[in-house]
Amino acid sequence: MDGLAGYILRRLLFLPVTLLIVSFATFYITRWGPGDPIRVAAGAGFSDPEALDRVRHKYGLDKPIHQQYGVWLRDVTLHGDFGPSYRYRDRTIGEILGPKIWVSARLGLYSFILVFLVGIPVGMFAAMKQGTWLDPLAIGAFLVFQSIPVLVMVPMMVLVFAAKLHWLPAGGFDGLFSKSMIIPTIALTLPGIAGVARLARATMLGTLGEDFVRTARAKGLDEFTIITQHVARNSLVPVMTTVIGLSLVGLIEGAFFTETLLGIPGVGRFVYESVNGKDYNVILAVVLMITTAFVIANLLVDVALVIIDPRIRANRSRAS
Amino acid sequence: MSNKLTLGVLGAAAVGIIALAVVLIVVVAGGGDDKKSSAQDSKTPTASETSSSGGKAASGELRLRGDDPLFLDPAVAQDAGSALYIVEIFSGLQRLDKDLKVQPDLAETYEVSADGKTYTFHLNKKATYQDGRPVSADDVKYSWERALSPDTGSVTAENFLGDIVGAKDVSRGRATEISGLKIVNDTTVSVTLDAAKPYFLYKLTYPTAFMVDKRQIQSNPKRWSQKPNGTGPFKLKEWKLGERIVLEAYANSHLGPPKLQTVRYDLSGGSSLVAYEDGEIDVTGVGLDDLERVQDPSDKLNAEYTTTPRQSIDYIGFNTNVPPFDDPKVRQAFAMAVDRKKIAEVVLKGAIPVATGILPPGIPGYTPDDKTKQYDPAAAKALLAQSKYAGNMPEITLAESGAGATVGPTEEAIIQFWKDNLGVTVKIQQADSATFFSDIDQGRYQMFHLGWIMDYPDPEDVLDVLFYSKSKQNNSRYANADVDAKLEAARIEQDTEKRLALYQQVEKQLIDDAVWVPMFFDTIHALVKPYVKNFSFPPTIIERFHGVEVNR
Amino acid sequence: MSGTIAMAADPPEQKPRSGESLTRRSIRRLLRRKLAVVCLVVITTFYTVGILAPVVAPYSYTEQNLDLSFDGPSWGHPFGTDRNGRDMMSRTFYAARTTTVVTVATFATGFVLLPVTLGMIAGYRRGFADALINRTGEILASLPGLPMLVLINATMRPRFVGWVGDIEDFIDVSWVRSIERTLRLCETSGDTIRCQPLTSSGFADYFLIFGVLSLFGWVGGARLVRTQVLTLRNSEFLLAAEASGASTRRILFQHILPNIMPLVIVGASASLGSIALSEIGLTFLGVGIQPPHPSFGALITDGASRSVLASHPELLLVPATVVASLILAFNLLGDALNDVFTSKAQ
Repeated sequence: MDGLAGYILRRLLFLPVTLLIVSFATFYITRWGPGDPIRVAAGAGFSDPEALDRVRHKYGLDKPIHQQYGVWLRDVTLHGDFGPSYRYRDRTIGEILGPKIWVSARLGLYSFILVFLVGIPVGMFAAMKQGTWLDPLAIGAFLVFQSIPVLVMVPMMVLVFAAKLHWLPAGGFDGLFSKSMIIPTIALTLPGIAGVARLARATMLGTLGEDFVRTARAKGLDEFTIITQHVARNSLVPVMTTVIGLSLVGLIEGAFFTETLLGIPGVGRFVYESVNGKDYNVILAVVLMITTAFVIANLLVDVALVIIDPRIRANRSRAS
Repeated sequence: MSNKLTLGVLGAAAVGIIALAVVLIVVVAGGGDDKKSSAQDSKTPTASETSSSGGKAASGELRLRGDDPLFLDPAVAQDAGSALYIVEIFSGLQRLDKDLKVQPDLAETYEVSADGKTYTFHLNKKATYQDGRPVSADDVKYSWERALSPDTGSVTAENFLGDIVGAKDVSRGRATEISGLKIVNDTTVSVTLDAAKPYFLYKLTYPTAFMVDKRQIQSNPKRWSQKPNGTGPFKLKEWKLGERIVLEAYANSHLGPPKLQTVRYDLSGGSSLVAYEDGEIDVTGVGLDDLERVQDPSDKLNAEYTTTPRQSIDYIGFNTNVPPFDDPKVRQAFAMAVDRKKIAEVVLKGAIPVATGILPPGIPGYTPDDKTKQYDPAAAKALLAQSKYAGNMPEITLAESGAGATVGPTEEAIIQFWKDNLGVTVKIQQADSATFFSDIDQGRYQMFHLGWIMDYPDPEDVLDVLFYSKSKQNNSRYANADVDAKLEAARIEQDTEKRLALYQQVEKQLIDDAVWVPMFFDTIHALVKPYVKNFSFPPTIIERFHGVEVNR
Repeated sequence: MSGTIAMAADPPEQKPRSGESLTRRSIRRLLRRKLAVVCLVVITTFYTVGILAPVVAPYSYTEQNLDLSFDGPSWGHPFGTDRNGRDMMSRTFYAARTTTVVTVATFATGFVLLPVTLGMIAGYRRGFADALINRTGEILASLPGLPMLVLINATMRPRFVGWVGDIEDFIDVSWVRSIERTLRLCETSGDTIRCQPLTSSGFADYFLIFGVLSLFGWVGGARLVRTQVLTLRNSEFLLAAEASGASTRRILFQHILPNIMPLVIVGASASLGSIALSEIGLTFLGVGIQPPHPSFGALITDGASRSVLASHPELLLVPATVVASLILAFNLLGDALNDVFTSKAQ
């Protein structure tokens, strides 16, 4: 595993470089184009250009961009200060993002657990029924769900369960154990199941062919014990690692739409508001946060895939 | 696994189709059930009024839905969402009542000098901050100088306090004290204005001029506004971002103790009409699509339905500097080619009234007769033919601010009228608000769809700000010496009748010149539970919970 | 949004020279699969409608009739009309055209042209170019795609569209204009004729979207190409070609390219669904195709607005069904292609 450890280390060491480049690019992109947070805040009301300039001066927004970036970089690296929010002016970025992240994280965690709780049994079930029609049906059903975009799924569920049947609320967020969580959770869970189930199935089939399973069978253990005691344990670890990685990527993107559609006050919707309000530092903080999560998630997936399928390792060492 | 997978997917697809069929049946079968549609359009005027908190509620508690304010610093906040809370927690020397008449607030009485330039305010001796400390003349001086100081970062301060002699020196960093402000004694303060300005008292009713607590700000300069110590009738008891805001009555308020004990805002979002029907909230705004239902006399909600005009106007503005709108005939043609009544009826379902002029109802000088250009396609076409752009019409774009995937249906309808009646294809450019406002400032648009919400009930707030040729917010780039002269005269005219007459002449001139196409005034549609007494929807953002009673 | 798990792709079998090419054989095998054929039919229908939208749509996508606001499905308007009385069927067809343009352009640019070029440079040149392309790819791959797309589009779109319009005005060449007129790309406004087909058709928006999608899309393909080039470099026939003095260009275009193209296209086709969805999603978030040009993102926004949802569900059901079927077809076809081209089984 020496090669793998080195690979992980190299990827982690590259993370700060990535973050630096990403922060630089985002810093310039957000400031590119017309308008700035001070003008947006004034909106259609009083917007005396000289008064706006005085406020810009107060926040150092009148300096050249490279100088602003220098200040920002210094504050972040030396003081861990991501700068002021131009919309929520009496709070730090952490204070503003905290509650939003908490909402999104609860929603994500909920969905993540469900993806895992449903996906792995489905995959195991399919693997056990290999050769019968149940195997493809189970996987196929979730493949269909995987292809229905969140953007379609959520309004359809709102249409049926809220607008027509009045069983569920049409949006909002009233805490983790409320009816308002049902639609977003389903929307975030269903598309992920197929991937997990297929992976679980493939891993399981691989494990079923291993020596220790044959030994167990030879010892006369019943199939249930073999599956739960031997096969599941050996196939679950890599599947779980992969699930964590893939779900994170999928959840962040799915959350964008789900939160916007259902009016859930999470990070997804907030990023969107911040982009419109040109709240530079908030955008930057969120992008860096998600980038870090992405890098780690991708790393987890890579590592898991290498463990699952040694052929990839050979492929990768050729590639890099 | 491929062939099996094929079967599986086909099977699953079959299941999916059956499921879809079931859905369709449910939908179709439920087709007659539109009545109980749940939710409201987020674009309604009172979207901020939306939402709930679960569970029981005692008498004396008013429950509403709302959104998080950005921050509660009265000197700096510019958004209506924050102002809604600020006007309850803070207060100023004067206030507006719900008929928009100026009433005494922290200043019990005041005198104006004969030349109209010096105001002397006598503070109410009972006026205290919510921590019990009395309000003194020093506080007035501190609050206003702080608002003006460049370190505070207020965009509005110069607009609302800049009439005081020396205020602009403070806002531009040339002085730290307002030279025109004198502390006479502990409870008396006098200010001198640069000219006699009849609307000065109105400006003091705006949050920028409200009192803040010097000690609190100095002890916690960055975060004091998270738990502000104001002078208003309600204290901020609790604010959990994204969850709730609880306002608690300040029993020692100089206005007398509020009748409510608490006002609880649920900030978590969701459908407010459903919450209202479930009894979770006491007041809700009504969106366009639920309007028909609550307006139906046979609906049980109809008895709780109320509607109030709001002081704002929605308009199409022309940039009178650029082709083709530098020709008044083109502007007039465009104004006359749009059937606003039809748009209001069909697209807006009669929810808001067609504008009858530039000044919205409730503003002094407003008259109910329709002064706008009437829909007349033939005359519009004729005007266009006489214009200098007949036959060589340049490309025209209508700009609007917005970040949705779709243009407002109103704009779509408007450009269709232009296409049908004038044969002119107008493109719509939807820009994010940053781009939109920056481009408006620079006069980059030919025409734009925008709204103006009155800050205080005086015609000066719209006519002088938006049409005076040297105003920095003259987005139409309109310059008319006659209009300028009248606006200048009106600023200092002491006789109210004459002053309003001047403004009415200006309004007429603007409409004749078709600088704007005034589109719609605004109306609030809302539901209020019968056990809530004295709840009003003021036409502008002012304190409104003080007299409210809830007897469940 | 729909992350298909690409299991380890086996390196392609070395070409057996048995008369029929790998590509042809694979296509034949693909067509034997019922599901793949169904998917192909769905996709072909969609694209045909998309390309022919101006011909098959009964109305223009902007044509309003305020007297027919929210007119439910009828013979005249099979999918009903929206708030402004616009025919929903026509709007759906034109939305299909948007998807068609964006997917084809992004596919060609970001998932074939860019990856092949960059991958070949990286694999064949090695050295600094290789390192640069690899590192850039690594950074792009670690960026949060959707938030970045939203950010870039939100800040750049208004100015970008303006530039494209300026450029179009600048290119006032008669033969370009006559082509534009023949293709009916110009708009008549009053008595003047304006030719800004790119801007007025919303193509400037398309361009920005497929540009941004391409920027983030090439990484996976380029890695694949690079690996292939590295493998092929040492293969006998390439060594033979080099020995016989063939130029670099000749080697790249005549020997390497034909070998990797099928693989690249198969790999890229798995992304078609997510390309289509990206455009729809961006438009839904308000930073994609600018109205009034229709896109499924806009149709879904309209249909999903709560007011409309309860009383006129067809406004949501139609675009939702079309989008779901298309994405399903793309994903299943991608799977099938992957199976057919990479499986060793004959």
